[in-house]
Order: sequence, then C-alpha cells, then structure tokens
Amino acid sequence: MNIVFLQFLLGVLFLTIIFLHLSKKNSNSVLAYGLQSLVMALIMFDSFLVTPNFQLLLVIMVIVIVKVVLAPVFFMKLLKQHQLTFLVNSYLNIPLTLITLTVLTAVAHSTKLSPLTTIIPNHQSLLALALAAMLVSVFLIINRKGALSQALGILSLENSLVVFGVFAGLEQSPILQIGVIFDILIWLVIATVFISMIYKHFGSLDTSLMKNLRD
Amino acid sequence: MEFIIIITVLLVAVIMAIITNKRSRVIEVSSFVASSIVLIEAFAIAFKVVKLGSYGFLPFFVVDELGALLIMVVACVGLAVVIYSGQYLKLEVAKNIIGFTRFKEFFVLLNLFLLAMFVAVSSNSPIFAWISIEATTLSTAFLISFYNKPSTVEAAWKYLVINSVGLLIGFMGTLLYFTASLTDGGVGLITWQGLLSGAAVMNPLVTKFAFILVLVGYGTKVGFFPMHTWKPDAYSKSPAPIGALFSGALLPVAFLIILKFKVITDVVVGPEFSRYLLMSFGLLSILFSAFIMVITKNYKRLLAYSSIENAGVMALGFGLGGLGVVAAIIHLLYHSLVKAALFLLSGNLLIKFHSAKISNVKGAIAVIPITSILLFTGFFAITGAPPFGMFFTKLMIFSVGITTHPNFIIIALLATALLFVGFFKHIISMIFGEKPSEIKKEPENFWLIFPPLLLLTVVLILSFYQPAFLKVLINNAASHY
Repeated sequence: MNIVFLQFLLGVLFLTIIFLHLSKKNSNSVLAYGLQSLVMALIMFDSFLVTPNFQLLLVIMVIVIVKVVLAPVFFMKLLKQHQLTFLVNSYLNIPLTLITLTVLTAVAHSTKLSPLTTIIPNHQSLLALALAAMLVSVFLIINRKGALSQALGILSLENSLVVFGVFAGLEQSPILQIGVIFDILIWLVIATVFISMIYKHFGSLDTSLMKNLRD
Repeated sequence: MEFIIIITVLLVAVIMAIITNKRSRVIEVSSFVASSIVLIEAFAIAFKVVKLGSYGFLPFFVVDELGALLIMVVACVGLAVVIYSGQYLKLEVAKNIIGFTRFKEFFVLLNLFLLAMFVAVSSNSPIFAWISIEATTLSTAFLISFYNKPSTVEAAWKYLVINSVGLLIGFMGTLLYFTASLTDGGVGLITWQGLLSGAAVMNPLVTKFAFILVLVGYGTKVGFFPMHTWKPDAYSKSPAPIGALFSGALLPVAFLIILKFKVITDVVVGPEFSRYLLMSFGLLSILFSAFIMVITKNYKRLLAYSSIENAGVMALGFGLGGLGVVAAIIHLLYHSLVKAALFLLSGNLLIKFHSAKISNVKGAIAVIPITSILLFTGFFAITGAPPFGMFFTKLMIFSVGITTHPNFIIIALLATALLFVGFFKHIISMIFGEKPSEIKKEPENFWLIFPPLLLLTVVLILSFYQPAFLKVLINNAASHY
C-alpha cells in the first residue's frame, strides 16, 4: 500500500475518534470503534505485506478477532441487555469540544512536538496525525461522562498508540506486539466486568452520578 | 533458581486458593507457606547480589542492588499482609460482610498481585516490567471493588481509568526509548542493559520526551501530584491489607521502573534534566499532601496522602543526587515497612469502630490499647520524628539540598512541619478522648497485632543497626541510581 492510502486509513481512524466525541447514540459509537480497530489492523497488515513476519500476522489476527469482532459484539449485547440507547453527555458542549479538538490537533502538528513526529522523517505527517489521535483520545476520556465512552476512549488511545508505534518503525518489534496483545486482554476483562458492575450499582453508565467517594 | 521458586510457590498458592472448597485454613496456610518461602528466597537473592553485583536467571530475570532491596521489601510486606489477612477476613466472614467465595478470591488476587510485583522488579526487559505493572492494575482493581458496594466500584473504576491512561502514557514513553535507539528498523526484546548500551545513539530530544512520559505514566502508579487522584479513593475503599501492599510494595516497585529509565536518560541528556523533573514532582507532592492532610476526614485517606508525601520526599532525594540518593533509598525501605504497618493498624481501627471517619474514632487507647500504641509509634516513625530512621533520612535529604537548592528545601521543610501538625491533630483525636459508649473493650486478636508489630520492630532495629549486607546493597544501589 502506498503512503497516500496509509494516510487515508489514518485519517479514517482519526475521524472515528472525532465521531466518538460527537456521537449521541451508543450503538453508533461502538460501530465507530469497530471500524477504528479494523483500520488499525489494516495499517498493521500493510506492514506485514512489506515485511512478512508470523508474529505480526498473529497479532493482527488477535486484533481482528478481539477488537473488531468480539469487543463490539460484547458492547452491543450490553447495550441491548440494559436498553442503553443514548450516550451520556459530555462535560463540554459541542462547540467547545470542537474548539478543544482543533487546538489538540494543532498542538500535535506544532514544532514543539516535532522531535516526536520526525522520528521517521518520511512519516512526519502520519506520526503527527497519530499523535493528534492520541491527544484527542485522552480528551475523550476526560470529557465524556459515560463509562462506555471512557472505555472506548481508552481503547482508542490504545489503537492510536499502536498506530504511532507502527509509523515510528516499531511494527516488526515484539515489544509492540506483546504490549498490544496484553493490553487487549486486560481491557477486555476490565470492560466486560466493570461496565456491568457500574450499571448494576448505579442503574446507569453515567460516571457523573458516582458521588460516593466524598469524605 | 530462586526466581523460579518464587514464581512457583506463589502460583501454587493461587491454585490452592482456587481449588479449595469450604476450608479457609488450607488457603491461609498455603499462602503463608508460599510467602515464607518467598521471603527466604528474597534474602537468598539479596546475598547473591551482594556477592556477584547482580544476579539473574535466564535472560528474562536480572536483579541489581536496588531490585534486591525491593524484592526483600515486597516479600516482607507480603508475608505480614498474608498473616494479617487471614484473621482480618475471617472476622469479616463471621460478621457476614463477605462470604467464603470472596475469601478465596482475595487470596487468589493477593498472590497474583505479589507475583506481578516480583516479576516487575526482576524483569530484565522494560516491556515485561510494563506488562507486570499492568497486571497489578487488573488484580488490584478487583481487590479495590472487593466489597462490591457502589463506593468501591466507583473507586475501582476511577483507579482503572486513571491508571490505564497513565500506563498507556508510560508505554508510549517506553516505545520512544526504543525508537530513539532504532538503528536497523526493528528491535528484539531489548533489555535494560541493552537500552543503556545503546544510549549513545539515542536522540536527546526524543529521550527527554520519553522520560517525561515515563515519569507521568509510572508516576501515576507511584502517586505523584497531580496524577495522585485515584490514590486516596483506592486506598480508603480497598481492604486494609491491600492498602498496605499498595503503599508498601507497589509504590516502590513503580518507582524502581522510573529510576531505571532515569539512568538511561541521564546518559543521553545529562543528569540535570531528570533531577529537576523529579525534584519538581517531589516538591509538589509534599506541598499538596501537607495541605490536604490537615483537612482530611478519613484516616485511610490520611495514610494515602502520607504516601504521596513520602513519594515526594523520595523523589526529592533521588533528584538531589549524591547522598540524597542514599537517603532516598533508605527512606523508601523505611516507608514501605512503616506504611504497611499503619495500614494494617487502620484495619484494626475499622474492625472496632466500624468507621473510617476520624470523627467517629475516639478514645482508641481505652478500647484497643496495643493497636493505639503501635499507631502512635507508627505516626512518629512516618512523620520523621526521632529516633526513627525516617528522621535521619529526611534530615539527610534536606541537608544535601539546602546548599544546592535552598528554595526547594525551605518549602519542603515548611510543608513537612505543617504535615506533622495536621497528622498529629488527627492521631491525637482518634487515640485519646472519650470512647463511644457502644464500643466495648475486648482483648485484641494476636494475629492482627503481630504483623504490624513485627514491621515496626524491624524499622526500629534498622534505624539503629543495619546489617553489613544491607549497607553494601544500599551503597551500591546509590552508586547506580
């Protein structure tokens, strides 16, 4: 795949995170996350085509099975089970959210962060966009009140981080691969158990309703 | 061989807890035996490190002097926690607060938590260290939500979200160290030594970013201000023995990872960069916790803030360098033991007064006198009052810094004084005064007294006498970090 196509894929990944900020329906957010994971798997598959590596293929297969298929199916079941159609609100309204997203994207492309985006000089624009995706994902976790959105934010941060690693030249490294598989495993367990627990105790996934920790 | 024994006995304890039905004694004894063997093996590792400089098994496990010290600390705190937990949980089972299944779950998760910490300390690869720290998140999240109440689930979720983001940031930092040393487009399972030997070709700017990310990422686990927000909630909502492990074991283990990256960073960009960052985080942590401790209303949260303060003192010591590093290492050891003891004693208060609110605990000396005396002793030890070792370590850190960074030290000294007054006020109000009429005095359970007593005794002895092997480990560790 050429660099333009990789740019397109990364653009799609970035836009899915923007969509997660703006989406009102839970099911749409879960589908966006599934698409985002598929895009990440495609970016990694491109790397596999360039340098065939069995370990990398294995990681891609795990990502597809867990992140593209199992996680969205689980989230959908959870939404149906508890009839959670609509997402819980965010702390900032849409205009302020968009302004913040713009600022974060600009920061990722700024010269201050250029040491990070010029690790592989040919990939500067790709690395800058991957970095922007990471910042925007962190903001998603902070800005959204819903536990599901926060979980999707963490999973998006994970995807953006992996993509950054790929474009930074670490795609063939067992470090990235082992880290990715372990993180997927951990968050699958966490998301499965804790989102259900939160709903059971609070009757909602709205984390702003959690006020039991004050002295 | 010692590493394999440690991993095996802890796994056996996990399996025993899983397969045992209705017999809590079997679970307790198997965990106790496992922790005792682990402690013996930890000392065996320490002696080998003294003799050989560092000690490893296969390419995956290598322990240096600081690692050996931490393995002993984790083993020591782990054993005390295991002894205490058996009795503590039995009382909760008797009161129908938890059932036998929860008892089993607790020991499964506790042993997994210990296992993850041993692997994190001894792992020769930054990525396996990261995975082990991540594994502690999983086991501890379930331990925080152990009582399955809204408040515990809330604390666990907060812990999960903040720590997951923190660890992903730490992972990003780790990746940057690898990219910074990329020479052929791909790297294998690089070890700490490999990373250090490749430091010469690292990009200084990328390395600076990487260290900031690592410090923020693992600093979240340590609990530096402002990434500390999960800490008071998690510490106060989890069972008392888990608070002891959080503060006494997980905090120094996460600190060790930061220090390992600091060594690499110092080679690439010089020591000043990491020193100033550590000192800044340290001072902010001391300052924040000093103010908040005065107004806190919950004694478990009080201990959590005290951990933040002590993490700050350690960061200050490591940041100052020289003798400050020696003092910081000794401070780290003392803090782990004293804070673990204090958390276990907080469990005794909770059992007797059924409340973690400071205002609900009065006249403890009349109800649980041994616990109260130990609590008072622990308070003096943790705040750095003489004759306890933490007085000398704080004094040493401040003495080192007063000539080179007087502003930092004066602020830290004032904050420490404020903190002492705040902590003292709370301790006095809990220990003395009129006890509530509904609270009756009963003999204290020996097994709830013995573990904290043992830990405080060890600290008191170490304050006056340090065995030769310990001195060698501390001095050699200080020369590396």
